[in-house]
Amino acid sequence: MRKITRRAAGLLAAATALPRFAIAQADTRPSITIAVQRIANSNTFDNLREHSNVGERTAMMFNERLIEVDWRGNLAQKPGLATSWHRPDDRTVELKLREGVVFHNGDPFTAEDVVARFSSAGMFGDTRPVVDGKTLAHAFTGLTGQASKDLPKEIPPVARRLWPGLDRVEIVDRHTVRFINATPDVTLEGRMAAMGSEISSHRARAEAASWLEYARKPVGTGAYAIREFKPDTFLVLDAHDQYWGGRPPVKSIRLVEVPEASSRINGLLAGEYQFACDIAPDQIGAIEANPAFEVQGGTILNHRLTSFDKFHPQLADPRVRLAMAHAIDRQAIVDALWAGRTSVPRGLQWEFFGDMYIADWKTPEYDPAKSRQLLKEAGYKGDPIPYRLLNNYYVNQVPTSQVLVEMWKQVGVNVVIEMRETFVQLRDRSQPRGVRDWSSGATLNDPVGSIVSNFGPNGAAQQAHEYANEEFSRLCVVLETSADRALRRKAFARMLVIAEREDPAYIILHQAATFTAKRKEIKWRAMPAYQMDFNPGNFAV
Amino acid sequence: MLRFAALRLGRALLTIALVVTFAFIVLRLSGDPAMMIMSPDAPPEALKAFREAWGLDEPLWLQYLKYFTAILQGELGQSMRDGRPAIELVAERIPATLLLTLPALALKIGLGIPAGIYAALHRNSMTDRVVMTFAVAGFTVPSFVLGLILVLIFAVQLGWLPSGGQEGWRSVILPVISMGLGGAGVLARFTRSAMLEVLGQPYIRTASAKGVPWGAVVRGHALPNAAIPTVTVVGFMVGSLMAGAVVVESVFSWPGVGRLMVVAVANRDLAVVQCVLLLVSATMVTSNLIVDLLYGVLDPRLRGQAPAAGGGH
Repeated sequence: MRKITRRAAGLLAAATALPRFAIAQADTRPSITIAVQRIANSNTFDNLREHSNVGERTAMMFNERLIEVDWRGNLAQKPGLATSWHRPDDRTVELKLREGVVFHNGDPFTAEDVVARFSSAGMFGDTRPVVDGKTLAHAFTGLTGQASKDLPKEIPPVARRLWPGLDRVEIVDRHTVRFINATPDVTLEGRMAAMGSEISSHRARAEAASWLEYARKPVGTGAYAIREFKPDTFLVLDAHDQYWGGRPPVKSIRLVEVPEASSRINGLLAGEYQFACDIAPDQIGAIEANPAFEVQGGTILNHRLTSFDKFHPQLADPRVRLAMAHAIDRQAIVDALWAGRTSVPRGLQWEFFGDMYIADWKTPEYDPAKSRQLLKEAGYKGDPIPYRLLNNYYVNQVPTSQVLVEMWKQVGVNVVIEMRETFVQLRDRSQPRGVRDWSSGATLNDPVGSIVSNFGPNGAAQQAHEYANEEFSRLCVVLETSADRALRRKAFARMLVIAEREDPAYIILHQAATFTAKRKEIKWRAMPAYQMDFNPGNFAV
Repeated sequence: MLRFAALRLGRALLTIALVVTFAFIVLRLSGDPAMMIMSPDAPPEALKAFREAWGLDEPLWLQYLKYFTAILQGELGQSMRDGRPAIELVAERIPATLLLTLPALALKIGLGIPAGIYAALHRNSMTDRVVMTFAVAGFTVPSFVLGLILVLIFAVQLGWLPSGGQEGWRSVILPVISMGLGGAGVLARFTRSAMLEVLGQPYIRTASAKGVPWGAVVRGHALPNAAIPTVTVVGFMVGSLMAGAVVVESVFSWPGVGRLMVVAVANRDLAVVQCVLLLVSATMVTSNLIVDLLYGVLDPRLRGQAPAAGGGH
């Protein structure tokens, strides 16, 4: 047996110690702080519960989906946790899962995690995949199920909004799954790429003491893992160095909740934050006056709108709603409040829809004379219509609402602003509802992700009893179940006519835009979405 | 003195009981909590279950009795948004708030009272006018405006101090100054007025005429007699230790009781709102009780009087 001398042992010990030391020394990646107006509306990070713009901002830092959208490119679908997929028939998609993916807790990603997510316990509860145009009851509650492991009851209706016809997910083998829909659906791949379809570790979910514990710290596969979350205060994420997509470029990301816009900007200029989000357009000039800073961003796949409670007595006649739509000079709002940095879209759609985009559709034009005529025909006598909104949850929300009220007043519509603090209060039916602020995003490259998801039978508007239209709901079923693309396109075109002119469900205001201020020496590109991308390739100093 | 203290204590407990009752009535009158928390769209069976779980289906008098008993037992309910006991949520924010309000109180007292005394002793001089100009400016400029100005100067322009957040002792300085300067201005004016009134009294002239050194007259006769109105104002300031930083906490993104209150009210998190209300009222009542007792120490003539005659607050 060979003798190990003391010197050799010392050298051996040094050799084993040195690499670790070197690795520790080599981690020169920066840690960054991002000031945001709000981290999460519900103080949770399961995107079926936190199905919001602010939830979208953080979701992809720690979570991933089977199929992703190429936000840095042409917005096409691209492999995510699935490397490839194909359709055995028009109700089924079979996906090959990416191997070598590791969750933040060290578990390997397998087909079991996918099945657990798209199960009754994962999102659907006791709902069934029935696409029949009927509306599921939605509680629109505050957070429930805190102490229980059970799925909170507000989750399944949201899950069915995203996956109305999903029957089951089957395991083919450890790295192959099959999504089987109850009806034909050409948008299954898009649904997999949409917010709410994130995959988290099924073991971590099962071992969490309660649903709340899981939802405050989902264990995903994203480039960053949640280290600590203090509700309403901060969220800290650390680089997940086993990330399959490469070494994350940031060591840790700290999001701090700074409600005041001026405080966010001051903190950025003072060097405490590297990024300040939710910047209003009129502040961009002041920030960029300092050569060390720049503002990024612009229009995103989201439209700002106001939606109606068509059952309010003053709004029951669709001509009153259409008159309100014709009374708005949208370009004036874009020019005055957005310094021309956004645009007026062609209804609730985006070119991102591809062949489903109705290029010749136009949102109701600004025509005060037509508004007055419609109001006269409808016999509107000037009775007040309540208008509920939040305090600048959307950038420029309050000034926009004040402009709208004045424009409506110009044609004789008496709209009264009622400030509210939460979305639950916006939808509260115990007091008369009239108009409320909202936004609609293209969660996938098809109208089912926006107009159907928001105003269809299981959209929030119908679930909250704000809107109903039999033909519109029937056409939603066509969009959700037909594989005939020409028929679907025709149905969508007709839906725009119904929802924006014949029996208005909402008024499109302008395309949403989001602006993020940052230090100029940071090489980072904003996506055309609320989400912030700090994955490899999109951050350098 | 014992009877005096007992009467004050009784009045303090009664005030807390009234606040508890008021909070109960207002929160119940502001809407059905089941509808507010579960939403009006919730299925009827869910609303029923919620009402049963929270005892909202019982007669109002029984609800009140249980609510009052629970408070006496220290049970303040669970946050509907966070799922944890409301008292825990509030308790973990108290140190952060005190980290601002206690130094701010020290600044108010340490700056305001000496400035007021100095101004009174140099009445109508240039120093008096300068001190009073700063005092008026201090309490007329809102704390959030002062806060933003301080941030622009010391954080953005000079880069000496953080603009917000809770990142070490340096983060405390600007919010404390924002809150402290206004209060110091108030105290300076009150102290000056009280001192001027006392300095005009015959016993001051008598003491001076007897040859007592002016410093001794001020320390021995003027200051103790001018203390009562000043103590009253300080009492209010101590009472607002918990709730006095709501605006400043928002401007400086400080995670204290004030921000918790704003978020809890916005989300109708009733248990947390109730808990903060109780904390604030208990602080205010306790502070007033201490002030009442101090009256007795400062002015022995007040010890034998009924509660209503002693205060003035």
